[in-house]
Formats: sequence, C-alpha cells, structure tokens
Amino acid sequence: MQKRIRIAAFILAAILIFSPSGTSFAAEHRDLSDEEIGAISQNCSSIKIRLQRVQKDDAKNRVYLGSQYETIASKLMLNLNLRLVKNGMANALLAEQQTTFMSERDRFKNDFIGYSQEFETLLNMNCKDEPQKFYKQLEIVREKRADINSSMKRMKDIVSLHYQTIVELEEDL
Amino acid sequence: MMEDGQPKQEIEQEEKQKVIHGGRNLILLGIGSIVIALITTSISIFIYRYTGDIYLDRSRPGYIAEGEKRDDEDDSKEDFSNEGEVDKKALEEYLKELESIQGRINAHENNFDAEPLTDDALGIYGYTEEQEEFSED
Repeated sequence: MQKRIRIAAFILAAILIFSPSGTSFAAEHRDLSDEEIGAISQNCSSIKIRLQRVQKDDAKNRVYLGSQYETIASKLMLNLNLRLVKNGMANALLAEQQTTFMSERDRFKNDFIGYSQEFETLLNMNCKDEPQKFYKQLEIVREKRADINSSMKRMKDIVSLHYQTIVELEEDL
Repeated sequence: MMEDGQPKQEIEQEEKQKVIHGGRNLILLGIGSIVIALITTSISIFIYRYTGDIYLDRSRPGYIAEGEKRDDEDDSKEDFSNEGEVDKKALEEYLKELESIQGRINAHENNFDAEPLTDDALGIYGYTEEQEEFSED
C-alpha cells in the first residue's frame, strides 16, 4: 500500500512539474503577406460574426465544464476525504489530489478570464483598417485558448489518477 | 410690533433666508448623492471588470440568453455523502459517480481545442461553400 501511494504521489508530482504552466510563451507572430492582409480586410465583418459565435459557445461551455469540475471537487473529493477522516482512515494522497484538483480548477477559471479579456480586445479591434494588428491579437487569443485546453487536460489526468487511487484503496479493504 | 426685542421685518427676513438656505442645501444634497452614486457605481463596475467576474457572470445582459443555455447544463446529480462507513460498497458507489461525471467531461473535452479559431474556421481567407451554409444557419 505504502509503495503504491509513493508511486501515485510521484506520478502526481510529475504531472504538476512537467505540465505547461498557465503562463503563455511569448507569441511568435508571423508577418502576413499583402494577399492575406487584403483577405482579412475584405472578410472583416464575417470574421467578427464568427468570432462572436465562438465567444458565446465558449461562455456556455465554460459554465457547463465549471459546474462539472465543481461537482467533482466539492461533492465527491471533499466528501470522500471527510468520510475517511470521520472513520479514522485519513488518506494523505487523496487529500493532496483534492487540493491539486481545486487549484487546477481555479487556474482553469483564471485562464478563462484571461482568454475572455483578450477575446474582447480582439472583437473591439478594427480588422478592416488594421488587419495585421488584428491577426497578432488573434494569435494571442489562440495561445490563451491553448492554456485553457491544457488546464482541462491536467484536470483530466488528476481525476484519472484519483480514480486509480480509489480502486487501489478498495482492493486493500 | 416687537417680538423679543426684534422688529417684525427682521424676523421675516431671517425666516426667508432660512427657506432659501434650505432649498440650496436640498439641491446640494441631491447633487452630492448623485455624485457619490456615480463614483461608487464606477468603482463597482471597475472591480467587476478588473477581477474578470464580468466574464463568469452568466446573468450579464446579452451574454447567455435563456434560450441559448445548454440543455444538459444542470445534469450533475452526483453527491457522495460524507457520512457513513468506508467499505467496498461505498467506494464502488463513489467510483460509479466519478465515472459518470468523467464521461460527461470527456464528451466535452474538445470544447476549447484550437479548431474554432483556425484561419479556415473563421473564414479569414474566404468561406468554402460548406462553411457559408453553416454560417447562414
């Protein structure tokens, strides 16, 4: 049991250490060709309409995923740990998983706020007159979106590890 | 006529002056209240935006309309009790609940992938016929 806990703790630590942080790497912007600049100016209004649709979908998806993560943290992990403590079976690894998951959930929320702020800046830009600037901002928004995606993947890994830990605990009973 | 040694005219003038002051004070009070309300509202809106709560507030007008909410939004029924024994049965129940929620998250794991913001998806270089049909829906 002790050995399993050590292995699981090692895996959890590896996820945290080697996972990309919430901070984006500096954007490497490419220069657009005249043809590309012309295309952005020409299709500006339709690009904006499409972006607004993405923004609405993102808001709905954030609410949905946020509620699922909240359920895992407060209705499952927290209650299980409380139950273990009440039965004198406190499990340090499970408590650590709960803490890690909660901080990752906060990171997801903050990443979404950062993404939304950049997205709003993008929507307020004039892509007809400043296509190059608009495209640079779009690249920033893409990076912020990638941060959210990474955060979701990390939470998925933590939940999988948590599942495995419970299976092992069940076997040991 | 004298009242407490004061001529009537003086008394009337004092009363008039008091009325004039009262009106002015009332206006000042009104203006002051409006100014304070404007300042506190501006500070509140600044904090609302600065902290990012504006992006999480689903009741924000025009953000997510009632008809646009997800059908499966409130489908979390999982709630593991923190009371009772910890035995195989309890842990099985816990795993079942965890599996169910994992399944729902996995079904939406691509919600924030790169696809919707690619050049093609945004129609930056013009829509294909298929995209045009989609954008008209």
